[in-house]
Amino acid sequence: MNATATYTEEELIQLLKGQSRQAFNYLYTNYAPALYGVIYKVLQDEQTSQDVLQDVFVKIWNNIAQYNPDKGRLYTWLLNIARNSAIDKTRSKGEIMKSKIQTGENVVHNLEQTSKTEVPTDTIGLRKMVNQLKPEYASIIDLAYFNGYTIEEISKTLNIPSGTVKTRMRSAMGQLREIYAIK
Amino acid sequence: MNIKEYIESGNLEAYALGSLPPDEAGKVAEILSANAELRNELAQIEKTMLLFAASLAPALPVNLADKIWQETGGKIEHIATTNAGNADKTIPFQPEHYKKPSAWKYAATWVALSGSIALNMMLWNNNKKTELQNVAMLQKLDTLQTQQQQLTNLIDGYQKAKNMMADTAMKTIVMHTMQKGHPMAATLYWSQEKQEAYVSVDGLPTPPPGMQYQVWAIQNGKPVDMGVLPNNMANTPSIRKINMKVTSGEAFAISLEKEGGSPVPTMQNIYVMGKA
Repeated sequence: MNATATYTEEELIQLLKGQSRQAFNYLYTNYAPALYGVIYKVLQDEQTSQDVLQDVFVKIWNNIAQYNPDKGRLYTWLLNIARNSAIDKTRSKGEIMKSKIQTGENVVHNLEQTSKTEVPTDTIGLRKMVNQLKPEYASIIDLAYFNGYTIEEISKTLNIPSGTVKTRMRSAMGQLREIYAIK
Repeated sequence: MNIKEYIESGNLEAYALGSLPPDEAGKVAEILSANAELRNELAQIEKTMLLFAASLAPALPVNLADKIWQETGGKIEHIATTNAGNADKTIPFQPEHYKKPSAWKYAATWVALSGSIALNMMLWNNNKKTELQNVAMLQKLDTLQTQQQQLTNLIDGYQKAKNMMADTAMKTIVMHTMQKGHPMAATLYWSQEKQEAYVSVDGLPTPPPGMQYQVWAIQNGKPVDMGVLPNNMANTPSIRKINMKVTSGEAFAISLEKEGGSPVPTMQNIYVMGKA
């Protein structure tokens, strides 16, 4: 799905506060695939991830008025709601067994899943490249993007200075940008 | 502030990922609002994050957007999710004032239809009957016309015969039967002046197949051929003109001969004969 109209973040926020279907469609088209990716990365189960995505959108819809652009980007706000909901789900009873630590098997599973979907075929190649992220970059991305760790938490976990955490974030994102050809 | 250095610090990535403490995030937001280059850089980082995350999961079910929209408490509107411009326009399948026709309307329709079919069948049958009657009438008319023509011919014949007999110069010769026990007769009307002769027969049987009546004139004691008579003449009271010129004759006779006639009459087959 591609949005035919594009809005600046300010316009979009105004639109979202009006709570029209048009605003919902724009939000869904532009952010649902990424938010679903984050949720799925945590939960590794399609149905559960879709249920969580639904809850996330309901939360976004009901709390859009509380979003403050001065404190962060819209996507960052949406991302916070999505990964917190996903992580909460892994802690809730019954979902613990379903949630899995990313293993080699799961990566293969991921690749198979990806190849079955509508994503462009070259995405399979991209996935391989993404999997070739340097281990120190991959761990930073994993902790920051999908587990919502703060710089301080990552610094403690990996036992590296917070400045190094940030520059590694920069380098990891740079490697991904090369893969997606985003300059 | 050195923009390039700031970009390389990784602060923007940390900001986009939501990894910065609130006070630091607030500072970055402030710096961003004043610098377009940094805002653009942040947009690229965000774009990468969106693509990367989206590539980690299978595609979303197509109907999920509608389902979630319902969950948000929105109205159910089945419109293309990307069709943002001209939304909310759903044309109802039937106009609002459309009412289901009543049973009476159905009944009336059926009655009208059945009546129409019955009437058509009746008219068709009548038409067929009329056509047949018409054909019969035409045949009858044809027959009448034929009969009329026959009558006209007959009257014409009688007229000629009357005229012929009214001719005072016309001589009548009655030929009597020559076969004992078989009463037959024939009459010959002869105008010596005009050298014409007519013959009529009475009681002569229809000739058997292959046979024909032949007329003879006896001239100087010898029979002379005067031609054959058509077979259908035998049992009809008609008068026939003889095709040959009749110049003279002491007597006349009719004999039964083979079809087409004979050069000389067969004596035992002379049926009728009369003196002039």
